[in-house]
Amino acid sequence: MNFRRITRRLLMLLAASGLLLGIPAAATAFASSATSGTGWIRLAHLSPNTPAVDVYLYSFDNSKAMIVLHHVAYGTVSPYESVQAGDYSVAMRAAGASATSQPVLSTSVTIAAGQAYTVAGMGPESGLRLQVLDDKLTTAPGQAEVRVIQASLKQQEVKVTLGSTVLAGSLKFGTVSDYQPVSPGTHTVTVSAGAGDANSSVTLAAGTVHTLVVLDGASGLEVVSLEDASGSGKPPLGGVQTGFGGTAPHGPGSPVPWLVAIGAGSLLALTGGLRLRRNRQLTVRI
Amino acid sequence: MPTRRPAAALALAAGLVVIAGGVTGLLLTRHSTPAMRPAAVGVGAVPAPTGPIVAAFPAPTGPIVAVSQSAAPKPVAAPVSLTIPLIGVQTNLMSLGLDPDGELQVPPLNMVSVAGWYTGSPRPGAIGSSIIVGHIDGDGGNVKGVFFRLRQLSAGDKIYVKRLDGTLVEFRVTSVQQYPKDHFPTEAVYGPVPDPELRLITCGGAYDPATHHYVLNLVVYATEAS
Repeated sequence: MNFRRITRRLLMLLAASGLLLGIPAAATAFASSATSGTGWIRLAHLSPNTPAVDVYLYSFDNSKAMIVLHHVAYGTVSPYESVQAGDYSVAMRAAGASATSQPVLSTSVTIAAGQAYTVAGMGPESGLRLQVLDDKLTTAPGQAEVRVIQASLKQQEVKVTLGSTVLAGSLKFGTVSDYQPVSPGTHTVTVSAGAGDANSSVTLAAGTVHTLVVLDGASGLEVVSLEDASGSGKPPLGGVQTGFGGTAPHGPGSPVPWLVAIGAGSLLALTGGLRLRRNRQLTVRI
Repeated sequence: MPTRRPAAALALAAGLVVIAGGVTGLLLTRHSTPAMRPAAVGVGAVPAPTGPIVAAFPAPTGPIVAVSQSAAPKPVAAPVSLTIPLIGVQTNLMSLGLDPDGELQVPPLNMVSVAGWYTGSPRPGAIGSSIIVGHIDGDGGNVKGVFFRLRQLSAGDKIYVKRLDGTLVEFRVTSVQQYPKDHFPTEAVYGPVPDPELRLITCGGAYDPATHHYVLNLVVYATEAS
């Protein structure tokens, strides 16, 4: 029995177990955003004296249309379509025109991941243009966001108020106001123009984004409220405590009892080893 | 004194046995954590399960009604039940609000088999990100929660929500993500979106016995099937 060798082995074992104890949990990185690489686009016809059109959406490098909306009349706004981020073009043709005919109008739009856009035919027929609008996907805490598109040819310039909030003091035909935060609730929208006021009622929930569109109605003005986006008006704070640990492995527990056992064992072995060694020496002398 | 030799040898042997036992115990207990639970996956999607998954429930039946995004959309009825055929989830939905401290309420301990809809979020099928949460487990005896298998979902899987008026809305999973709770992406999960979407939330990662909470949240993102 070589006591020194045993001691060395013991020490090596202890060192090895210490190393294992010290291994940190594997470090992992986490995505900060869940964007899956898609954005949103919707298409609109907001030119009062332009007849119905067919609207085409093309992926930049593909001549085959991804989406075709047929017979889109003035005042129509499509639902959002989710598409891969990238470059696209939007073309308008007279309703029923051949898909291969020269478009009346076209424009390009770059869709970023997690962003939303409205591509609208705007202005009078004589000056029809396709405008790309950036749509907002955030709200101030506890607030709603709202903007106005002025698409009335009857009234070239309007003032739009929401309750006592002025959304646009002097909005010209074919233009768009910025979004602004407003208190959630049901409000009266008033569109004032030279000929008089038009009132309507809108309900804006907290955490929602709206676009009000001022249109030429059959008689007078019409206000359409579009819900651009919606989320939780009161976003919960932090994470969610959705587990009680019943299926989790019980933790490794304290290493102390095992270390005490190793220590006690070492002491016992050490004592025994020393005694053995002394006895052997004594034997040799005798 | 030769008579002392057997005692000394015995002490040495017993000491070595105790050391071996101690080291073995130490190594076994240190190793148990990673071995018993799938490792937390970091960036991006949770890997799809490798084994075959048998659908425990058929898809529910009922008219699938997409709500049109017109100028005056019809109000969408409140959700009453959730079905995820692939992972055998079929549960009624309870209503959940916020705690006084602003955190999202969760179903109580005696209802870990039930999921809940956050009433402050859009209704499933309406425009916006609707929030449904459920537990991964109970507090002992290996009790599994309604969302124990949520991590097995992957892009394209189907989720159904039935509403108070009997209509169904069908969602498809777009991605599955995990986040540390102290870095929860509030905007991505609860923020406004322009189309009908669903978020399913449960816990994941390691369980911290000190705080009695899991360290991660697992979020399943889904959009309405068109």
